[in-house]
Amino acid sequence: MGLSIGLDTAVKALRAHQLVVDAASHNIANANTPGFSRQRVLLRPIGIDGSDHFGRDALLGRVGFGVDAHDVNRVRDIFLDFQARQGLGSRYFYSAYDSAVAKTELTFNDPSDDGLSALLGKFWNSWHDVVNDPESSASRTTLVNSTTTLTTRIQRAYSQLSSQRVDLNAEVSAVADKINQAATQIAAINFQVKQVELSGDRANDLRDRRDLLLDQLSGYAQITYNEQPDKTVSIYLGDHELVTGNTSRDVQAIADPANAGMNKLVFAVDTADVSTTTGELRGLLDGRDTALPTLMGRLDQLASSLIVTANGVHSTGFGLDNSTGLAFFSGTGAANIAINAVLSATPAKIAGASGLGLPGDGSKALQIADLQLANTMTAGTETFDQYYGNMVSVLGADVNRAKGAMESSQLLVDHLDGLRQSVSGVNIDEEVTNMTAAQHAYNAAAKVISTIDGMLDMLINGMGVH
Amino acid sequence: MRVSELSRTTARIGYLQTVTERMDRIQQELSTGHRIQRASDDPAGAALALGHREAITYEAQMRRNLESGVSFLNASEAALGSTTEALQRIRELTVQASTGTLSQPDRTAIAEEVNQLIGQVAQLANTNFGGAYVFSGHQSQAAAYLVTGNPPTSVAYQGDAGLRTRRISKQDAVAVNVPGSTVFGSVFNDLITLRDNLNNSVPGPTIAASITNLDAALTRVLDARADLGARANRFDAAQRVSELTDTSLQELRANIEDTDLPSTIVKFTAEQNALQAALGAIGRTSDMSLLNFLR
Repeated sequence: MGLSIGLDTAVKALRAHQLVVDAASHNIANANTPGFSRQRVLLRPIGIDGSDHFGRDALLGRVGFGVDAHDVNRVRDIFLDFQARQGLGSRYFYSAYDSAVAKTELTFNDPSDDGLSALLGKFWNSWHDVVNDPESSASRTTLVNSTTTLTTRIQRAYSQLSSQRVDLNAEVSAVADKINQAATQIAAINFQVKQVELSGDRANDLRDRRDLLLDQLSGYAQITYNEQPDKTVSIYLGDHELVTGNTSRDVQAIADPANAGMNKLVFAVDTADVSTTTGELRGLLDGRDTALPTLMGRLDQLASSLIVTANGVHSTGFGLDNSTGLAFFSGTGAANIAINAVLSATPAKIAGASGLGLPGDGSKALQIADLQLANTMTAGTETFDQYYGNMVSVLGADVNRAKGAMESSQLLVDHLDGLRQSVSGVNIDEEVTNMTAAQHAYNAAAKVISTIDGMLDMLINGMGVH
Repeated sequence: MRVSELSRTTARIGYLQTVTERMDRIQQELSTGHRIQRASDDPAGAALALGHREAITYEAQMRRNLESGVSFLNASEAALGSTTEALQRIRELTVQASTGTLSQPDRTAIAEEVNQLIGQVAQLANTNFGGAYVFSGHQSQAAAYLVTGNPPTSVAYQGDAGLRTRRISKQDAVAVNVPGSTVFGSVFNDLITLRDNLNNSVPGPTIAASITNLDAALTRVLDARADLGARANRFDAAQRVSELTDTSLQELRANIEDTDLPSTIVKFTAEQNALQAALGAIGRTSDMSLLNFLR
């Protein structure tokens, strides 16, 4: 009876260490799988449990009955998960916002030799050329050309900004799909985890996949989540249920009546607005609804003030053909600013003179050229050039801030990921060491079996009849 | 701290990326010559640089205005220089004629020369520069003086008193012309009278009266020439100031905007070394594994 217990103990050891090797193998296989948490076989000794009074053996009770591989855990720190997800929310917020505003900076391409600022300078200079040679058709043609170049650039910048808003809007709508995909998968995994774990098993790998999806989701928008007693995870997006048990609620993009041409995200079930203060969605919305409209507004302000002031002076002047009362610019703002088509067709009509029949008078042109020096913008505190310079500088500061914030939130995410990896990641040397230790234990247990075999052989065959 | 395979890989990729990104950035600075590629590289610096660029462009236009302005002034001055010579010749002839010792044929010959000189001065008064009659004021498309008859019986001013004012600096706007009426005044009528008197045997003292008129005309022309010369000097001075301003603006702009070559090249070399070291370390450690030591 004693010897067969020894055999039983050794068999338990074989099984347990085989499991340790299996776990190491699983870990090594997933050494590079994103979101994988290493798994650990929990071993514990089996001692006398006090129930088996019948077979009680005073000495055996002191030795114990071997080893029991009672559980396989995944090594994970859920507090780090929580921190990392907060980090991801701001990381994706800033990267979405940064890429939205960084593109607008390229639209203006300043400071450079061919930026809007340089074109504005050429426009003013062309007026001086008309002052110098009011009767020359060459100087008037140059003015028409440099004005057209300027207005085309302003229009193009404005329309680029508009189409960047449209692109951002498409990205906003795409976030709805990404949220839905993650939520649907989490709901499905919730169901599986519940099934597996209710039967007492561990759904380690399913949980890893669910955690990875939660990481993704927290990059999209602000979520809160908690694990229910039935092992499912409930998720709130803003303050609205997104996933409960094995049900997820779809989010969809619909036209926003309060924001012309733009979409907003709502829950399909009750059309409640999706609200978020962080994540990619917030970054896209801030770019689309705040940064770009502000910038477009400033550009529009520049164009409309230029139109109004230049036209105001020009309409009181006289052209070479004595035409008067003409506007210099057509259009009302950055979207449609252009040189008056009458003037570009007949540059002689450009009003350089202050009076009738004065071909050699460039004083009206000088008044317009001098608008460059006038504090027209920002309640009479800035010239056009200063206004534009500040606009570019403010934009640059915004991009700079977003970039810096993105980089520092990336550092935080990297740091937290490092900590998570430090807890959950696979180290192959470690796994090989575990495996080798298990192998030795397995070999030793096998040796125990052959030793007991020898003992039994001696007992059965070596004793008795001679 | 435990190090996992994945975090080691991520860290290596991340490090290589950071170094290459920095190197790219420096390379861009070196190849474009600009430290500020976009406003976000240095928002405050970009605003300053834009201000300097704007001022540089403005100054360039001021020099353009000054250069063509000086040409206009010089064209007027040259015409008035020749006018002075012509008027002085007429004065000499008038002095000769007023002595009363000359015969009528001699006086007629002088009258003929005066007549020629009237035409010459009228031509000078109608000097055209770059498509504009310089002495016509704002009526630059019409000749300053309309000559009627041959020999001329009247020479009428067609211009006005308009000044061709242009900007030569932020503070100053200066005219580049002198209206013909202020320079020539009644000179043509005076000369026609003189010519007719010479032809018509008018007594010497009456002819001598013309000398006063001629002296007045000469003074007007000389005054105008002095005025034009002073303006040309002022333009030259303004141009030199503008060039100095331009130099210092270019320097300010370059200090803010341009790449500091020596220090950037040093930075580049440092990054290059860092990258090489990183690659070497990664190459050597990446095949290190416990497995190499197990049978």
